[in-house]
Amino acid sequence: MSSAPLLRRILHGRGIWPAVPALAYLFVFLALPMLTLLAFGFVTIDRGRIVADTWTLGYLKAALADDLVWRLMWRSFWVAAVSSVLTLLLAYPVAYLFAEAKGIWRTLILVAVVSPLLTSALVRAYAWIVILGGRRGLVNQTLLSLGLIEQPLRILNTDWAVLIGMTQIHLPFMILPLLAVLAERDRRLEEASLNLGASQTGTFFRVVVPMSVPAIFAGLALVFAVSYTNFIVPQLLGGGSYSTLAVQVYEQTIVVLDWTRGAVLATILLSTCFAFVLAIVAFGNRLARWNEAAA
Amino acid sequence: MSHIALQDIAKSFGPVRVLDGCSVAVNKGTVMTLLGPSGCGKTTLLRTLAGFVEPDGGRVVVGGRDITDLPPNRRQVGYVFQSYALFPHLDVAANVAYGLRVRRVGQAETQARVRKALDLVSLSAFADRYPARLSGGQQQRVAIARALVLEPEVLLLDEPFNALDAKLRLSMQIELRKLIERVGITSIFVTHDQQEAMTLSDRVAVMRAGRIEQVGAPIDIYDRPRTAYVAAFIGRANVLPIDIRGGRVAIDPAIAAARADGAAWLVVRPENLAIENAGEGPGWHGTVAFATPQGATIEYEIAISLAEPLRVVALRKVGEPPAAVGSPVRVRAIDPAACVVLEEGPDGV
Repeated sequence: MSSAPLLRRILHGRGIWPAVPALAYLFVFLALPMLTLLAFGFVTIDRGRIVADTWTLGYLKAALADDLVWRLMWRSFWVAAVSSVLTLLLAYPVAYLFAEAKGIWRTLILVAVVSPLLTSALVRAYAWIVILGGRRGLVNQTLLSLGLIEQPLRILNTDWAVLIGMTQIHLPFMILPLLAVLAERDRRLEEASLNLGASQTGTFFRVVVPMSVPAIFAGLALVFAVSYTNFIVPQLLGGGSYSTLAVQVYEQTIVVLDWTRGAVLATILLSTCFAFVLAIVAFGNRLARWNEAAA
Repeated sequence: MSHIALQDIAKSFGPVRVLDGCSVAVNKGTVMTLLGPSGCGKTTLLRTLAGFVEPDGGRVVVGGRDITDLPPNRRQVGYVFQSYALFPHLDVAANVAYGLRVRRVGQAETQARVRKALDLVSLSAFADRYPARLSGGQQQRVAIARALVLEPEVLLLDEPFNALDAKLRLSMQIELRKLIERVGITSIFVTHDQQEAMTLSDRVAVMRAGRIEQVGAPIDIYDRPRTAYVAAFIGRANVLPIDIRGGRVAIDPAIAAARADGAAWLVVRPENLAIENAGEGPGWHGTVAFATPQGATIEYEIAISLAEPLRVVALRKVGEPPAAVGSPVRVRAIDPAACVVLEEGPDGV
C-alpha cells in the first residue's frame, strides 16, 4: 500500500484522521518514554541493566503493602485537595474582578495573573522561604515588630507553608479558566434574576456560580493534578523530613538511585492522580448536566 | 387614571442623550407598544421601567406608586428579554419556579403555581427539559410563564419576536395577544416592526431620537400621522411638497387644508391614489416608471418632477394589464379627506 491514501486522509479526512500526526508525536515523545520509565518498576535492574525475563508485579505488590506509601499518598491527596479549594476561593474574586473591570484594568489584572508563570516554580518556592522563614522572615519580622507575637511563628517546615506555597504557585491555573467564563457570561441572566426578585447576593450564588461550574471543575482538576504531583514545594517549604508520594519518586530516582522503587511509586502516583482527576471531572459534569444539553 | 406613567424620563450614556424627556401613560389592562427604529431609545425606556437603567431625570409611577428609586428586584414588573434570558442550568419548571423560590414560597404552592403557569402557555409536557432543548417559540413561552407566575403588576416585553422566524412570528403574536387579554395584565411591548405594533397593541407610542413623536391607537396614527416621520414609519406614505392657496391644496383643490397660504407638505397613502388618463386637470402629472402586479394589487412608481417617485397601489382586476411603463398619467387622491396636510416635511424641513 502506498502512503498516498494515508496522506490524503490526514490532510482531508474526517474524524480522527487529521489528528494522526499530533497523536503520533505524542506517542513517540510522551507516551513511549513514560511507559519505558514506568516499565522499570516491573523488571529487575542489576547494575544499570535490565535482567531479562524478570517481569514481575512483586515490586508493585510490595509497595502497596507498605504502610508508608499509603501515608505519603494520603498526605499528597489532602495537601492537593485543600490547596485546590483554597486556590478556588482566592481565584474566584480575582476572576470576578477581571470580568467587572474595563480597558486598561483588565490588562493589568491579566498581566498580574500571568506574570508569575514567567518565573520558575523553584524561584517562587525560594521566595516563600524568605517570606515565611525563621525570625528574620518577612512575616515574623512584621508581626514581632508590631508586638502581635512575642515568639516567632513556626510556619516554614510545616503543612501550612506547603499549603501556602502550593496555593500561590498554582493560582493562575485556577484564575485563567474562571476569567474566560466569567468575563464572557451573559449579563442578561443576572438582570433576569434581579427582575424575578433575587438580591445581588442571591443572584451571584443562584446564577453566576452555577453557570461557572464547568470552569470551576476544570480549574480544580488542573490545580489538583499539578499539586498532587508537585515535589519542589513540599521539599523546600515542608523541610528535609517532609515527604509526599511525589517527593519519594524524586528521591528514589535521583538521590537513592533505586529506579525500580522510583518507577513503582511513579506508577502509583500517576494512576491515582489520573483517577482523582477523572473523579473531579465526572463530579463537575454531573453538577453541570445542563451544559451537555447546551452543547 | 393611568396604571403606568413614565414622566419626563431623561437618560444619557456619556455624551449620547438616549432619552430626552419621554412621557408615556398606559391604562390598566391595555397593551402599549413603543415603536421606533433601532437606537431611538425604546429599549432604554423599557429598561428604565424595570429598574435596570437609572434615569437622570423624571419619575416612574406604577399603580399610583413612585418606584423611580426602587431597585429592580423590589419592583413588581415582569420582564421578557429579547433573548429570553432563560437560565440554562435550570430546567423549564425550575426556571418558572425561580422567582417563587427566591421569595421562599412553600414547596406545594410553588409546584401548583408553576403547573398553572406552564398550562397557561401550553408547555406542561416540557417541564423537565433544559432551555437549550427548546425551540425559540417554546423558550419565549417559558420566559412569559416565568414572568407571569409572580403575578406582576405589569408585563414588559423587549422585541419578543425578534428571535423567531417570520412564519412563527405571526402565529405567536396572535397567541400572545390572546394570552395577555386572558390574563388582563397591563403590558408594554418594544418593537421596530410596525405590523407587530398593529397586531399587538391598543395604543402605540412612536419614538424618534429619544422622544415620543406621537401616541394613539394604531389606526388613528395610520390615518392621522402628526409628522412626516410617523407617516413614513407606520405604513407607507408619499410625503409631497405642496402649495396652499385659499385653504385648498393648489395642485388638487379637492383637498382642503385649514392652513394659511404658502408651502406645506401632504401625506397621502399609496392606496389612496388613483391613476387617471393624462391630460389637463388637477393632480400630479408624470409617467409610469415601474409597475409590479402583486396579485390582488398593482404597485406603481410614477415619476413626477420630484426626487422621489409617487407610490400608487391600485386594485387589480383579473386579465387587466398594468399601465405601460413610460406612458403619461395623471394621479389624484381618491379620498381627499384621508389626506393629511403637515407644516413640516421629512427631517423637519
